[in-house]
Amino acid sequence: MKYVLQKVGLFVLTLWAAVTLNFFLPRLMPGSPADAAIAKLSQNGPVSDATRAAIEAQLGVPTGSIWDQYVAYLGQVARLDFGVSYTFYPQTVSSMVSTALPYTIGLVGIVTILAFVIGTLIGTAAAWRRGTWLDSLPTLTGSFLSTFPYFWTALLLLFFFGYVLHWFPTTGAYSATTTPGFTWDFFIDLVQHAILPAVTILLTSLGGWIIGMRNAMINTLGDDYVTFAEANGLHGRTIALRYAARNAILPNLTGFGLTLGGVVGGSILVEQVFGYPGIGYLLFNAVIGQDYPLMQALFLMITVSVLVANFLVDILYGVLDPRTRR
Amino acid sequence: MAKTHMLRRWRRAAIVGLAAAAVVLSGCSIQISSQPDPSIGDDTMLINADKGNPFFTRNFNPYLTNTRTASRWIYEPLILVNPLDGTQNPWLASEWSQPDARTIVMTIRDDVEWSDGEKLTPDDVAFTFQLLKDNPSLDIKGAWQHLETVETDGNDVIMHLQTDDAPSLPILGQTMIVPEHLWADVKDPGTYRNENPVGTGPFVLGNYNDQQYSVDKNPDYWQADKIEIEHIILPSTNSQLDTVTRGYDWAYSFISDVEGTWGAASEHNAWWFPPGGVIALMPNLEVAPFDDVNVRRGIALSLDREEIAETASEGYMQPAGQTGLVLPNQEEYLDPSIPDGGMITQDTDAALDAFAEAGYTLDGDRLVGPDGKQLEFALTTANGFSDWTRAAQTVQSQLAKVGVKVTLKLPQPAGYQSAISNGDFEMAIGGMGNGDVYQAYNNLLSSEFYVPSGEATANNFERYRSDEADALLKEYRETVDTARQAEIVQELQGIVYDEMPVIGLYYGGIWGLFNDSKFTGWPTEDDPYMIPQNYDSAPLGIFTRLERVKEDDR
Repeated sequence: MKYVLQKVGLFVLTLWAAVTLNFFLPRLMPGSPADAAIAKLSQNGPVSDATRAAIEAQLGVPTGSIWDQYVAYLGQVARLDFGVSYTFYPQTVSSMVSTALPYTIGLVGIVTILAFVIGTLIGTAAAWRRGTWLDSLPTLTGSFLSTFPYFWTALLLLFFFGYVLHWFPTTGAYSATTTPGFTWDFFIDLVQHAILPAVTILLTSLGGWIIGMRNAMINTLGDDYVTFAEANGLHGRTIALRYAARNAILPNLTGFGLTLGGVVGGSILVEQVFGYPGIGYLLFNAVIGQDYPLMQALFLMITVSVLVANFLVDILYGVLDPRTRR
Repeated sequence: MAKTHMLRRWRRAAIVGLAAAAVVLSGCSIQISSQPDPSIGDDTMLINADKGNPFFTRNFNPYLTNTRTASRWIYEPLILVNPLDGTQNPWLASEWSQPDARTIVMTIRDDVEWSDGEKLTPDDVAFTFQLLKDNPSLDIKGAWQHLETVETDGNDVIMHLQTDDAPSLPILGQTMIVPEHLWADVKDPGTYRNENPVGTGPFVLGNYNDQQYSVDKNPDYWQADKIEIEHIILPSTNSQLDTVTRGYDWAYSFISDVEGTWGAASEHNAWWFPPGGVIALMPNLEVAPFDDVNVRRGIALSLDREEIAETASEGYMQPAGQTGLVLPNQEEYLDPSIPDGGMITQDTDAALDAFAEAGYTLDGDRLVGPDGKQLEFALTTANGFSDWTRAAQTVQSQLAKVGVKVTLKLPQPAGYQSAISNGDFEMAIGGMGNGDVYQAYNNLLSSEFYVPSGEATANNFERYRSDEADALLKEYRETVDTARQAEIVQELQGIVYDEMPVIGLYYGGIWGLFNDSKFTGWPTEDDPYMIPQNYDSAPLGIFTRLERVKEDDR
């Protein structure tokens, strides 16, 4: 119990620090949101002082001392009210986030789980059959693919399968001509649009899971209880899955918890390359447009989900491995 | 051990192989062709005009900065201005007059209906102006910086101005008009999203989703016989590759090697890149030594504008003269007594003479002042404005040749904007000039915008002050005599040419990309009837001119 309380205390403290950083960081950027909007307009021609005045009136320039703003901000966070987005004015931040979140969770979330499951299974098989082609092929290709920057893989896939071969759509989450809804057509279309970004994330993250699982598994395979099980004449698959893999999966599980926490942040560059309307792309635009309210809400969501995942993994570890509680 | 070694060797070999493949790939260019969507009909235009970033929000309030682009084709202004040369076309106002410099009378068409069937009346116009007065955040063109009162009289709307203010006509005329019978009930117009717009324009909202929306021809439009487009589709995400490959009928984008990309994608692809403004060096006139006109002249004479224009705009744009005018758009205003149309050519000897006037002489390869220190300054431009950055780099290397040391500063756009507003710069790259000559000179020279460095201003970033310029600008406002106005414009050119408050470099481009397989009649260099941009109100002028290509012509 003391262990859990300690972890809760640490969680609250980290959360407060994150919220506070989240408030101050965007304010350290030079120029105001209105400046960002005007700079964008001024590329197309000089902006009159009237336009500037109207934009400032629309976006509202932060008023009051930084302390007052901070207190007001804490109140807002407590009420989960993030106000109105600047770049999507007059849309509220919560409506923007709720539009983008399903896409990210649907794409990055599912692919992360898939990558973890597939990677762990391959890693198990590779370790069990170490030294054979079943080991070297996935291990080598996995580690090879994970060395690419993922936006580069994304660009390559997009270029060949989207623009040269025309196999997959190049942008967006669904075809503009289909009407979103719970229909079969829409679902197929959604999947078609998700394939290239999904393959990108899968290709670049699979290697880590494979290698992590393989190496942990090779360690457990050398342990006495595995030898003992073998000596008892247990079936090979039973030993591999129930004895070795079960213990070897712990570090991978930790990594999985943390990765899952990061899903909310999306894969900014992948979403950017494929024009996928998720949280990552939204965040990118929020930063470019100095959209403080949107940035703060997104950063906070990302921080909180990573913190929560971290916290849960900590607790889970405490349960699974008594040694950590000391 | 041997195993990991082998693994490492494998990995290295694979990386080398892949790198080689990448080099080969980039060497042999893969031709990408345009793949138009076959489901888009011949009566339908696909336009790359609205960016969703990353999805659309349903906002059709035409006064908000991030309204959907098409809202400005659903609502119409009183006068349609061509931002290229300032030409004013009658639109919802069939005619106008300025009985004196304090009064504007606009006659409103009486054959115009809102798309819900109600009639457009002068009261709608008066209501609109009142709306902007009550909600300053909506007044993006700044009508109430000029207006005193607005009243109606029959079909006329009479605008009384705060002072003698003849040049306010296009500003007031560009106000988009909304229907009183719908907007009178809107509680907070400043945050109103107007999800189901009702306007007078050629189009009404069709299908809408957050990835794409369409507008359909308004059958009761007052110029319906001139609109041959039945539908327009606007997708939310448009990368540069999409622009070339998706089969757009109209796009607006700077494209590298336009001939080899846009031009090669389809035989029907055409483009027109007219100059839309002047990109200039803006010295902060309150910072030494830029307070000395001889230093500014020395810099102006040191520059090879041909090279700057070529490098910055990939040769699409011409070097700009020192008059502040955008040529050839505004040729009619040019003072014939200014040599070479205001073009200053590189002349190193003359530059050194000018620098010497200011006390700077060559010492080896450094230009040094009386105190023996090299003339050096920081040049600020915005990160991500790549043409400006290339121009800045070229200026840097050209000035190095006359011994001036330039360092570059590249803050993010918001930081750049804040720096020039607040005078927190030595020299900056900035845009000036537009179709309305008075507005251009007023924004550039008027001491109305003057505040010392450290305080924010919206214009006149270089912080210029001159009684002569102020007097000329004042006189222009007070006269409705166009001949006298033309003379004043020539005198203002003289000031910019002699005093060099800013140093013109090259023209900023308008990047119109068209495809004429379905619609013809796009504006061209020979027929520049409208600026080829597909945002704001400008497309209204183009939509009414486009004609469908008939089946048998193809």
